[in-house]
Amino acid sequence: MKKHIVLALAALAASGTVVSAIAATPAETVAARQANFKQLGRAMKAIGEELKKPAPDLGVIRTSAQSLNQAAGHVGHGFPRGSGPESGVKTEALAAIWQRPADFQGAARNLVVKARDLQTAAGGGDLNRIRTAFPAVGGACKGCHDNFRERH
Amino acid sequence: MGKVRLWDAPVRLFHWSVVALFGALWWSGENGRIDLHKTIGLVMLGLVVFRVLWGFLGGSTARFGSFVKGPGTVFAYLRASREGKAPTIVGHNPLGGWSVLVLLGLLALQVGLGLIAQDTDAVASGPLNHFVSYDTGDAAGEAHEVVFNILLLFVALHVAAVLFYLFVKRDNLVHPMLSGHKAFTQAVEQPTFAPAWRLILSVILAAAFAGWIALGAPFSLEQAKQAWQAPPPSAEESYM
Repeated sequence: MKKHIVLALAALAASGTVVSAIAATPAETVAARQANFKQLGRAMKAIGEELKKPAPDLGVIRTSAQSLNQAAGHVGHGFPRGSGPESGVKTEALAAIWQRPADFQGAARNLVVKARDLQTAAGGGDLNRIRTAFPAVGGACKGCHDNFRERH
Repeated sequence: MGKVRLWDAPVRLFHWSVVALFGALWWSGENGRIDLHKTIGLVMLGLVVFRVLWGFLGGSTARFGSFVKGPGTVFAYLRASREGKAPTIVGHNPLGGWSVLVLLGLLALQVGLGLIAQDTDAVASGPLNHFVSYDTGDAAGEAHEVVFNILLLFVALHVAAVLFYLFVKRDNLVHPMLSGHKAFTQAVEQPTFAPAWRLILSVILAAAFAGWIALGAPFSLEQAKQAWQAPPPSAEESYM
């Protein structure tokens, strides 16, 4: 009997996980995409700091570039309809994301391209190429923030 | 009796520079001109450091030791003022002294937060951001906004006090802060002023400190050279 209850609870918990993954509340969606942006930010900070050092650590740059590339791929999917400011959840996402979806997806794709370039440069290990690819990612961040994120 | 030289030129120049820079920092911060904001912020850092040094090395009316009083003195002064028996003070009165300390302290706090703050993309960061974690830099950015609002509140209080003196107490405080001189109706003790070498020393120390911070506070010559030759990417372009 006890075993059955445990099994039932486990099944319930599992189904709950599945349901929330399919239909996340706006609050969950916002929290997930913010965590993703923080992953991007952490990677940017780590790479930027290495590049300021007299002898940058390529290992740190490679790990961070990989993490950045991974997070960059999620940005375009992080803004389903109903997860904007109208949902009542605190977010800096502007309504423009849903008003001009083609522009927004273009900006998100630009980030993916620039992040991939950076990871390729990091893999190659040529610091000069990394130094060129890194600000290009920053430019992609800015390209989106200027139009789709609230100014503070 | 007559005109007294009240504020020295460094105090006046500091005061009006802060007014101008405060406005410029507000504008550049609100409009996402982050590179300009960082540059002006570093000038503000130099000014604040200078004023702290001048509070120990400057003339009698600039010194903290001459105008920072305990709460007992402040309340006694306020009580005497209400009865119209306040003594004539050459310089900051006991309450005004605290106004100077609070405004200067808030400015220092605000500059300090800006130095370690970062934007969410972590490229538009303060020059000392590399000393703190991502989360600390994030929190500093949030606090930078809160402290700005507190600063605005105290600036408003400061302006209100000056207007109260002008219209209610019929005492113009703005003119002496511009000209340096103030007319007193009775004989008062003349303030003493600091020699030029102390001014030169304070300016050099403050500028050197701000420059060192601008380079990310390097601890070796090699680090300093690196920072000097290869400015962080954020200095070339704004990402905010």
